[in-house]
Amino acid sequence: MTAVMLAALVGVLFTTGVWLILARGQIKLVLGLGLLSHGVNLALFGTSRLTRGAPAVIPHEGDLATILATQTFADPLPQALILTAIVISFGVTAFIVVLVSRRDAVTGSDLAPGELASLLNTADPFAAPMVTDALPAGVIMPDAVDDYDLLQYEIDEVYDRPQDAAEAKIQ
Amino acid sequence: MNPYTALLPLPVAVPLLFAAIAIMVGVSRRPRAIQIQKILSGSALVINLVIGLLILSYTLTGERIVFQMGLWPAPYGITVFADALTGIMLTVVGLLTLLLLPYAIASLDKSRARLGYYPMALLLLMGANGAFITGDLFNLYVFYEVLLMSSFVLLALGGTPSQINGAIRYVVLNLMGSIMLLLAAGITYGTVGTLNMAQISERMGMAPYALQALIAGLLFVAFAGKAAAFPLFFWLPSSYHTPHPVVTALFSGVLTKVGMYSLFRTFPLFFPDLLVAWQPFIMTIAALTMFVGVLGAFAQPTIRRLLSFHIISQIGYMLMGLGVALTPGPFGVGFGLAMAILFLVHNQLVKTALLVGGGQIELEMGTGKLSELGGLVTSRPLLAVVFFLAAFSLAGFPPTSGFVGKLGLLQVTFSTGQYAVAAVSVVVSLLTTMSMIRLWQYIFWGKPNPQLKPRPRLAYTSTRALMLTPAIVLVALSLAIGIFAEPALTVTGTAASQAIDRAGYIEAVNPEPAPTPAPAVVQEVTP
Repeated sequence: MTAVMLAALVGVLFTTGVWLILARGQIKLVLGLGLLSHGVNLALFGTSRLTRGAPAVIPHEGDLATILATQTFADPLPQALILTAIVISFGVTAFIVVLVSRRDAVTGSDLAPGELASLLNTADPFAAPMVTDALPAGVIMPDAVDDYDLLQYEIDEVYDRPQDAAEAKIQ
Repeated sequence: MNPYTALLPLPVAVPLLFAAIAIMVGVSRRPRAIQIQKILSGSALVINLVIGLLILSYTLTGERIVFQMGLWPAPYGITVFADALTGIMLTVVGLLTLLLLPYAIASLDKSRARLGYYPMALLLLMGANGAFITGDLFNLYVFYEVLLMSSFVLLALGGTPSQINGAIRYVVLNLMGSIMLLLAAGITYGTVGTLNMAQISERMGMAPYALQALIAGLLFVAFAGKAAAFPLFFWLPSSYHTPHPVVTALFSGVLTKVGMYSLFRTFPLFFPDLLVAWQPFIMTIAALTMFVGVLGAFAQPTIRRLLSFHIISQIGYMLMGLGVALTPGPFGVGFGLAMAILFLVHNQLVKTALLVGGGQIELEMGTGKLSELGGLVTSRPLLAVVFFLAAFSLAGFPPTSGFVGKLGLLQVTFSTGQYAVAAVSVVVSLLTTMSMIRLWQYIFWGKPNPQLKPRPRLAYTSTRALMLTPAIVLVALSLAIGIFAEPALTVTGTAASQAIDRAGYIEAVNPEPAPTPAPAVVQEVTP
């Protein structure tokens, strides 16, 4: 029964995660990725035997084979794997949060270019120069042009004030 | 004890050590911090290349190098492992990163250098090297994350709007791939009770077919997604044109190719039967990848966007080699894999040369738009020649390495009866030639655009020479592989025969037989 519940929970987490990733809005994207990594962590947990109240450390006295055959113990390896995976997904999630908030600051909107384009009823996000006027004030389409000017040497000032870069690009 | 085993952890340890020192120097805000970082980076890359060459020279004799970390016996500790395939990848990636260093020194702006380009490039190298030498499936996942994490930082380095946009797509789609890889590792442990690759290889055949197919499918999705195969390539063209050109060149030589390496490593080892049974599926994916990639390239308006789509297209050829890896034919088992490895190396060299040259033009002229460029052949004749040679090597003209690789792949595909895929690959070669001619013509032919002036700082002869060096060396290597095809084929043939030799791999790692995994049942214990 426990295993069935665990499997169901993994399924729910994966479904919700995928749904959130596909939904509009970048915060939902971050939350969806978080749920997906939790789902996979639980799935990893289920790859060992599910035990209750059994220790992961067994006394090394006597014959190892008899101990393994007679005693109940929790498999420590998936737990170690999950710990590693949690640390990694935490780091990556932190990075994505920074990226998303940065995009918020740079473009003035938490929507991706494709989503902005769909708001404007244009199929092609690259067609943005024609329609930027229709966007709310301060919102720019980041994909509209390549940042050739920002690739140059003199980006020192620009880097510290991304909003200036955005303005420079609109002009 | 074999002295070469002591070398084996060094491809990971050396870049990590030097990157750590470089980060500390960078954080200390010393006045000459960036210069010190360049020196540290250079020394690390030279040492790394020497180690790679030593490992390659030893493994080419047909021997394998195995080291158990912490001297824990095989299934309990982490095994690191090198055969000729590992040696080739270590050497080529080490060479590419070393060649890109003068390019970075000449072209990188101060803010990107101050934000840590040099240590991050070393960490990227460390992740790639770790993925090459590891003999443990979970460890492979960890090194993928190291590789991806540093690539995330490199991609967003500079923080321009389009970079951040590209980085979000890149991070999200690659994270999905990593989740698949982690899930595959977990299910593998649940199925065969081990994560050591040698032991997985021993036991995978005994697992139920459904579980085998599930693990193989998850691994294929994960690795093919990293390698940007159809239909999982969308992250690549939407992010690769955004960062500084040196980052794009580094990524094209290292990132997607690590995904390809992992496919070459794991599939013949874990799923020799599935690799034959799934041949139509893999070949279909290969054909679609190369066809969609090259068609996408025709629609692209700028140099690096166009070249990004060609990265995808060329991945299709390597997948074609994977599809015929274990099929017996007139050339013997493993010939397809040998050609695929040769093609992988060729592609790493040539694609990096093209991106280095194209990036130089984008930086110097301040634009990569094909419609604005033109007539550079008079002002940059040497670059024009190098770019021409690289472009025709990519298209597969003799006497370059592209010709040898494509010819071999075509022969082996024909001999296994995959006529449709072979026909697609010929058509794609033609389309690649057209696309390359179009690219070269737009950049170098015609009248120069009078409004485009070279940026003063990049127009120094010394800067131009530094930035041109990697392209010249890479194209020379490509020509060398094309002309001396026989020795090159011997090398990749050794690598392929070792990669498909499961018994030899298992014997070299020699895992202890662990207690068989208990059946996965819920046990309720009353306290």
